[in-house]
Amino acid sequence: MKILNLTLHHIRRSPFQSLVAFLTVFICFLILNSFIFLNRGLSSVLSYFETKPEITIFLKDGLDEATVQAVQKELAGYPDIKEIRYISKEKALSLYKEMNKDNPLLTEMVTASILPASFEVSAYNPKVLEVIAQSFSAKSQIVDEIIYQKDIIQSLLTWTQVIRTSSIVLISIFVLIAFLVIFTLIGMKITNRKDEIRISRLLGASKFYVKKPFILEGIIYGSIGSFFGFIISFLIIYNLRDSINFFFQPITFIYALTIFEPLLLLAEIFAGIFIGLSASWLGARRYIKW
Amino acid sequence: MEIVFDKVTKNYGPISVFKDLNLKIEPGDFIFITGPSGSGKSTLIKLILNQIKPNSGDILVDGKALNHLKKKNEIDKIRRKIGVIFQDYQLINDLTIEENIALILDIVNYPNAKRLSRIDEVIKMVKLQHRHFLFPSQLSGGELQRASLARALSIEPEVILADEPTGNLDPTNAWNLIKILQNINKKYKTTIIMTTHNMDFIESLDKKVIKLGKSEHENT
Repeated sequence: MKILNLTLHHIRRSPFQSLVAFLTVFICFLILNSFIFLNRGLSSVLSYFETKPEITIFLKDGLDEATVQAVQKELAGYPDIKEIRYISKEKALSLYKEMNKDNPLLTEMVTASILPASFEVSAYNPKVLEVIAQSFSAKSQIVDEIIYQKDIIQSLLTWTQVIRTSSIVLISIFVLIAFLVIFTLIGMKITNRKDEIRISRLLGASKFYVKKPFILEGIIYGSIGSFFGFIISFLIIYNLRDSINFFFQPITFIYALTIFEPLLLLAEIFAGIFIGLSASWLGARRYIKW
Repeated sequence: MEIVFDKVTKNYGPISVFKDLNLKIEPGDFIFITGPSGSGKSTLIKLILNQIKPNSGDILVDGKALNHLKKKNEIDKIRRKIGVIFQDYQLINDLTIEENIALILDIVNYPNAKRLSRIDEVIKMVKLQHRHFLFPSQLSGGELQRASLARALSIEPEVILADEPTGNLDPTNAWNLIKILQNINKKYKTTIIMTTHNMDFIESLDKKVIKLGKSEHENT
């Protein structure tokens, strides 16, 4: 009788206990995946804001060409600047019209003269933007207003951090629960099968031989639980992909399939195997004394 | 496989089962161990299997002292050369008779290709052809005893330890079992150590006998 057959036989003999172990691992990986996809989405949101012009400097009306160029030159002199875009009054008007093309009432009374010209500045290092904001705030003779997206990013960063931390805590708790459930379950099964183990030992089975079916059982719970945890969460998330992405427009919250998903599946199966293996190995070591 | 008891003493609390028991079983011997209940017949089997430890003295199996084995798995290797017929059968209840035999063949790492034919062979030998797919709970005492014999024989052991193997058999089946053991002993030079109360076997067969007395041993 092969070890795998013996293991499957053990699983069949106590289906409800086995179901509990499987479901615990399954839920653990379902939650893990949900958080992974949520984190990926939040990273997209964050990077969207990070790559947008992070500071907009609105200029006062009536500045001559030389002053505007001097401002541009000064901005370009800062380190780690990614992009500087000058939005003239005319360009501002065309952008405004584009944004409100479905609402002619909002556009017909607006002319280029009432819209301010501006500089949109993005940087690789957000600290530079802070310096720029401080420096230009003092130049009230040329600057009308400064809009700095630091607050939005800061708020997003805080939220992302909170979600990441809580996901790590929650997943750790679930991993611990899955570990303890498999550990306890294997202990119960060993106790139920102590006669079988004792007989096998008397017939010459090594300690490892009698432990093997229980260790394999843990591996089966871990691998199958993690596999289905991934597949189910993946199916749910990708079925809702269009609706979620529509909600977050123009940000792509959930990306199309890449090599990341199969790699993630593999990594999760390995993680599931590791949880099942370590819990059942420790369980077998703790309970098989004879 | 030679088995030697060198001044073995075994006590269960205040009750002394053996004191300084000396015994030598040569390879190929057929030995009956007899004595009244509580004389230590099963204890002797358990000591050979290293299931229990003596209070003092050495038990040497194949030249190795069981209480001084260097490696942990050495006792497993010794047990794999011994076929055991337990008094209470010790079959695994949720495996069929066939699966019980397959399990021990897997334990001793019997060649894969020969396993099925070996199972058939021993099942036929003990006349359980129509019972091999049943679970132990579905068999009578006599059938269980024969299933236990089939399991012991399947691994082609060097030694067979049989603890009251005829206790649950009718006279015909009991003699059949004795004949099987005799054949194995004669054909393969397998050492047979059998405990029994049945004086008919002892008197009818010209075999070595170890007679154990109650509380104190006597060795003839």
